[in-house]
Amino acid sequence: MDERIVMVDSGTGLRLTEEQLDEMSAMATVQLRRRGVREGDGVLVCLPAGPDLLVAFVAVMAAGGVIWSLPADLDAGTLRELVRGSCARVMISNVPPAVDAADESRVRVVMGVDDLCAPHPHPV
Amino acid sequence: MPDSPRHNLPADPNRFVGRERDLHDLRGLFAETRVVTLCGVGGIGKTRLALQVAAGLTAAHPDGVWLVELAGLRRPELVDQEIARVLGVREESGRPLLDTVAGRLRDQRCLLLLDNCEHLVDRCAEVVEALVAACPPVRVLATSREPLRIASELIWRVPPLDLPDKVTADAESVQLFLDRAAAAGTRLGPESLPDVVRLCRALDGLPLALELAAARTRLLSPGQIADRIDDRFSLLTTGGRTAPARQRTLLAAVEWSYDLLADKEQVLLSRLSVFAGDFDLDLAERVCAGPPIAAGEIVDLLGGLVDKSLVLCDESRYRLLETIRCFAVGRLRQAGEQEALRQRHLDVLCELQERYFLAEMVEPRVPWPRRLEALTATRTLLPDQRAALDWAAASGDVGLGLRLCRASTGLYPIGGNLAEIVGWLERLLALDVSGLTEDEIAYTKACLAYGLETRDELGRALEMAREALAGLAPGSLFPRCVVHSLMVVLLLRMGRADDALRHAEQGLAIAERSGDTWNQAAGLAGLSAVALTRGRLREAQRHGEEALVRAREHGHRWIMARTAGQLGAVAEARGDLVTAKAQYEMAEPWLREVGGYLDLARCLARIGRVAAMLHEFAAARERLAASFALGRETGQRQGVARCLVGLSVLAEYEGDLEGAVLTAAAAAALRESIGQHSATIRIEELLGRARTKLGDGRTAGLWSRGRAMRPDDAARHVLEGRRAPARVPVPARSVRPSLLTAREHEIAGLLTRGLSNRAIAEELVISPATVARHIANIMEKLGYTSRAQIAVWASEHHQAPPRASA
Repeated sequence: MDERIVMVDSGTGLRLTEEQLDEMSAMATVQLRRRGVREGDGVLVCLPAGPDLLVAFVAVMAAGGVIWSLPADLDAGTLRELVRGSCARVMISNVPPAVDAADESRVRVVMGVDDLCAPHPHPV
Repeated sequence: MPDSPRHNLPADPNRFVGRERDLHDLRGLFAETRVVTLCGVGGIGKTRLALQVAAGLTAAHPDGVWLVELAGLRRPELVDQEIARVLGVREESGRPLLDTVAGRLRDQRCLLLLDNCEHLVDRCAEVVEALVAACPPVRVLATSREPLRIASELIWRVPPLDLPDKVTADAESVQLFLDRAAAAGTRLGPESLPDVVRLCRALDGLPLALELAAARTRLLSPGQIADRIDDRFSLLTTGGRTAPARQRTLLAAVEWSYDLLADKEQVLLSRLSVFAGDFDLDLAERVCAGPPIAAGEIVDLLGGLVDKSLVLCDESRYRLLETIRCFAVGRLRQAGEQEALRQRHLDVLCELQERYFLAEMVEPRVPWPRRLEALTATRTLLPDQRAALDWAAASGDVGLGLRLCRASTGLYPIGGNLAEIVGWLERLLALDVSGLTEDEIAYTKACLAYGLETRDELGRALEMAREALAGLAPGSLFPRCVVHSLMVVLLLRMGRADDALRHAEQGLAIAERSGDTWNQAAGLAGLSAVALTRGRLREAQRHGEEALVRAREHGHRWIMARTAGQLGAVAEARGDLVTAKAQYEMAEPWLREVGGYLDLARCLARIGRVAAMLHEFAAARERLAASFALGRETGQRQGVARCLVGLSVLAEYEGDLEGAVLTAAAAAALRESIGQHSATIRIEELLGRARTKLGDGRTAGLWSRGRAMRPDDAARHVLEGRRAPARVPVPARSVRPSLLTAREHEIAGLLTRGLSNRAIAEELVISPATVARHIANIMEKLGYTSRAQIAVWASEHHQAPPRASA
């Protein structure tokens, strides 16, 4: 298969191939489903622009979820307001103010980028 | 224990409202996740949710769902102990308790529910990490304000109940409020709904806050409550204004509810925070009475607190929710009463324990049911004893602390507790003991010696026992006799029968003079044991019989069982197996009554072994199986090894030499692993017979195979009367291709060609996102985690997509 590049990370220069995107988003979908994401659920995604964000988007869609995207560079106050105002059960983020905001929200599970790509430790 | 139900979850105190989707999701998580921690502020409903989740998981965990409540524990090392207690695991001599617990749980499909981890979160994290690593099938559900922060953990944040919105008023929070108001006797009509909605929003859907508010609806309307709660936020007196919003809301609700209490109710609630576990009315009266509260008022005051949902009551036992208890501790401190109350708690515990100790052990002519009552009461008070001992150590009241130690049979090996008494005594003795009398110190050393003997520290135990005898006051007769009996055990274990004899005689003489039947029985049993060691069987029989008579006079089932066991050993020594079996069988129900599971396991193994020699194979098998199960449940490798030896005897008498060698080898290997020696004479004889019948090579092969066997497999070999099946690997999940839809089949087929989502999308004229959806569904149906797995599966299973399937 010819190697098609779907994205180049402007910061690191790392390239994401089509094959990688397909495989990573498929794995991420499984992780989302395991954490209870169902058809029609809102999922908050707060990640800086880049390959991880793309993987997260594809995965949420594939899991049947609805993407609620929050720009990662929003100020903490606005982030808090948006996170607390949402009724999402799952959030994908490594952005500290967004993760902190989850504490007083209705988010049950916060997934980091690592949780998307790696199988959960001690698998059954 | 073997027949107990496979969970220890309490019954629902009232209706569980809402959170259906959460329950479903959480239960589903355990299919893939080992550790889930429910996090959130106090009062948000972590415990209740966890209990509800766990109740739905009993079927998936055939080895049990076990609730371990940690709120009452004050020190990290108690986490291990509490888990062991709940599981019925007993400490093994010379092995960390956590290792024994892990050994017991290794292949168990069970769920541990650790409730209220926050104050011991570091130790909880270590323990959970160790158990998860050592016991692959074990799952853990924890509740904690803070996550454990370990690699295997999935942190699940418990949200408040759903709030009503403009469209629907039928939200979870409203349902909970109405349900609890109805339970308090208030029927709220539709006209009050707008106020209820306002109140639920003001309380942010926090279950505990809603319950406290609902308990007040008999006197205040929902609108009045909502107004007052709003005022509260500006009046918060405890906690920081910077605390998270939910915490402030909850605090406001608790403070509001507290401020509405009558003065005496307030005082009582704060004083109740001194208890570590649940408590009954009697204990509350003893500890919490005092100006302005008279003891007689407490029953009504408690009832009032229960009505207001600040105290929970279950069949005459009371307890405080941890969130309320923390608040109440703060009030007690503010009132400047904390030290006085904890001292009073220590005083009362000490006084109660000494009374129980006298009733259980010392007083003559107390009927057995009353002795058992005292023993049971002691065990019930164990969490409070620990809290009181903590206070004794913290406040430096060594005298009272040691008195409590001496009187708490629940802390001793007789209560199945090996190390705990040693730990407490050493901790207290390390403090300033200059105010104690020589007699008190000596008595304490006697207790220490007792604990050390059980831990097989014979040298130190002997030294302590000697010092105890030298220091005890002439009037301290009961402890003196106990030390003499302990000396007999120690010296016999060290092979010094002559010295043992002297102590048995001295102890007996004192007990005879003082009319102390417990120690008469113990002394006579000691004389019998000495005589048995020296081969004087008739003398051993005579002393043993007399010991049993005195033991029956005393009535305590433990000493009766001990003397009966001694008579059994004497009968066995003279080859009278029928009598031996009868004696051991006599002890069995007595040991069940006192709940001495370690002694019971030993007794059952003896019955089984003797029954085998009598050719009563069915009975032998049954007892050995029961003993083996007990040994496994309590985590005692020594007990397991003992059973394997019994099973070896059984196999040999049944003519199964192979099984006899296998189990003997497994027992020998297990004993070596715990640093014990096996009785080599029997093994040599057995191997000799095996070599004659089976040949040298076969015998050597069996021996090495048995040594490598897991104890369970070796035991099963004899117990089930057939060769243990090799451990069959679990067959891979069989996948029915028809699970997939036609479209999914098509896509799986395209994956074998290595196409990307985009390429598949182009081929099928659908969007790449839809392809990703299909692939997600295929993975879920087949239980896979990557596209590559689908491709492999499809290339193996895929001829042509079935046309008619959907």
